[in-house]
Amino acid sequence: MTTTDEIDSTVFEEAVTSTDPKVLAKVWGFGGMTSVLLGAIAGLLVGFERLDLTSADLLGSADEVFQFWSAHRVALVLLGVLPALMTLATTVVPRQCGANTLIFPRAAALACWTWLVGAVLTIVGFLADGGLGTPGAGGQRQATALTLIGLLLAIAGLLTATVCVVTTIISGRSTGTGLRDLPFTSWTTLVSATIWGGMLPVLAANIVLTYVDLRGRSAVRFGAEDAIWEQLSWMFTHPAVYVLALPVLGIALDVLSATTGTTQANRDVLLVATAAFGFLSFGAYAQPFFDTPGTPVMEEALYVVMAFAIVPVALVILGGVADTLRRGASNLGTRPPAETVCALLSVMLIVAGTAVGALRVIAPLDLLGTSVTGAQFTLVVGGAVLGVGAGFQHWGDDLVGGPGARPGMNLLGGLALAGGVVLIGATDLISGLLGLSDFTGVDLATAGYPGSGVDGLNIVSIVGSLALVGGLVIWQASGILHLTAAKKASSV
Amino acid sequence: MLTTGFKLWFGFFVGAVLAAVFAGYTSGATETGPLSLGWKGGVGNHVSYTILVMGAGVLALLGLVAVAFRDADAKAQADFLGLDEAPPAQAVVGNSLWPVFGALGLGAVGVGLVVHPAIFVIGLCLLGAVAVEWTMTNWSEKVSDDASVNADARENLMRPIEIPVLAAAGVGVLVVAVSRILLTSSVTGAVVVATVIGLVIFVLALWISRRPELPRNTVRGVLFVGCLAVLVFGIVAAVSGEREFHHKGGGEHHDDTHDHGTDH
Repeated sequence: MTTTDEIDSTVFEEAVTSTDPKVLAKVWGFGGMTSVLLGAIAGLLVGFERLDLTSADLLGSADEVFQFWSAHRVALVLLGVLPALMTLATTVVPRQCGANTLIFPRAAALACWTWLVGAVLTIVGFLADGGLGTPGAGGQRQATALTLIGLLLAIAGLLTATVCVVTTIISGRSTGTGLRDLPFTSWTTLVSATIWGGMLPVLAANIVLTYVDLRGRSAVRFGAEDAIWEQLSWMFTHPAVYVLALPVLGIALDVLSATTGTTQANRDVLLVATAAFGFLSFGAYAQPFFDTPGTPVMEEALYVVMAFAIVPVALVILGGVADTLRRGASNLGTRPPAETVCALLSVMLIVAGTAVGALRVIAPLDLLGTSVTGAQFTLVVGGAVLGVGAGFQHWGDDLVGGPGARPGMNLLGGLALAGGVVLIGATDLISGLLGLSDFTGVDLATAGYPGSGVDGLNIVSIVGSLALVGGLVIWQASGILHLTAAKKASSV
Repeated sequence: MLTTGFKLWFGFFVGAVLAAVFAGYTSGATETGPLSLGWKGGVGNHVSYTILVMGAGVLALLGLVAVAFRDADAKAQADFLGLDEAPPAQAVVGNSLWPVFGALGLGAVGVGLVVHPAIFVIGLCLLGAVAVEWTMTNWSEKVSDDASVNADARENLMRPIEIPVLAAAGVGVLVVAVSRILLTSSVTGAVVVATVIGLVIFVLALWISRRPELPRNTVRGVLFVGCLAVLVFGIVAAVSGEREFHHKGGGEHHDDTHDHGTDH
């Protein structure tokens, strides 16, 4: 009863009882990337609905469109990119630190399974007509409550895993490895984890507040169905969304350094820049739901200054990446590895995302409520997904325990994904400049003005969404093939 | 010398304090409000200000801990312990059931909060059991350096408790599940179901007993699938509700679950 290795375990028992970070990383990785795929499919369905904004042809009602639209963002952030990053944080980071394993491995296992249970409950809540409220209050209250509980569990799992990772980085390092000597993936994970540890509890508090009010006789304010999303939306926009990008910048720096065979120049500058990027990602303070009358937080000076300040910081990191490429380009040959291409594209997308974020807060342009917000989200989160993929490709053999990578498929998937993100981001940006709302609903009144050209752009956006889903499917297939090949190799 | 961890977190602390003060002054605070934590005047947007100040406090604490413990560097740990080299921070531990059961318990508590109090209570019981088992597992691993001695220590203490409790719980759950199935079926159907279930169990047990060479995993698999099937059918039956019961001598219909003796 104590441990299952006392008796002969089945494969299933071995999988669910393991405390080996490599086994759990498969749950984080495949679970996270599957959520990313589901989120992309939800985005695609909303995109199809946007093609004809005069009626709800595909999803039934404006409330359903909203549910899928919010599911798209939740699935990408809390159920997708963050858990996928945990894959690398729980396996690659301990090794980079010189630790023999992750500290608190059983707590890490608890974190992984708690996140999975939470993710499943969240998805069930969305599918059962719940989600994070609806503008027309047409959702099922019980299913909405289930979604909130699911998110709480997912956050609890992510926070517990964060504690294990930070503890490993701090107290599990080998002799002679100071914090300043850490590889960039570990360093940016430490910085990101500090910010996650500050932001996720605030998000959990928001959810508890919402849940308690929702479960009362009638919602007073926080749990009103049309107010839930507004209360939680800060997690899915500037500046909080950047915290997904930070570990990816570290992954990109390490991947490029390894594939070009060069050491990073100006290392201390990059350590400071990545730390500054992390600080500027702290977004828990920017909650529009709690605006002081007369001073909306998104128009306050701090919010605007942070949006602009992060651009030069991101450019410094891009400079570091470019410098590494310049010095090591000759080592890449004529066909650079897939992970190098994906890592480079991810950094460029993130930098583009920060530029769009700065554009969004320029008051005279009045873009805060427009689809420019969606463009920034797509570019930053798309860049993060691409960067996580680059990490999976780079450390893939270690993660799945054997050879069998499919570089061609990885490159094809990465290019499709990057192309899709660029198309969606660019069309959302232009649509936003033309006046399209971030959430369009299903009526022309919120979709800009007639003849604005938004309909044509929506078709381009659909093409982008298809490319994004296609790229993710290719990556999933590549991952499964790699895993199968590794299993075969280990059995031989 | 100031450590890297201190510089990181203290830098964040300074940034958070400056951001809080800046946010206060640019969102309608009075002159002294943001500097006095709201003691002498308003702080502007109180949500932003409070979150940033709280964050600053936590970051300052992290910075102080980092510098006090020299970033928990391996050399600092070795010096503190009086060793030449610090021991591994974490010993490799074996597989364990408790994390996955803990997650299931948390899930049951969450679902129970939304759906039904009974599920909530089951979740709490599961969490309580996991807490005890996890604690005993950790205690037993520190009894000695020998893993088998540790395992024996745990077995001796916990098996007399685990086996009766698990058996009682297992039998209880199966009895409730089968009773739900029988109560959902029609009067004749219940007889058929009881006969079929009894026959299946009898035949399977006979078949297994005649094949002692069967792999242990196969036997466990058969038992697992059987129990799962009864459980799933029991849950489906409970959701479907019981059949209608009729009182003798009256046309009144009601679903009386305690009146089993009078149905016909």
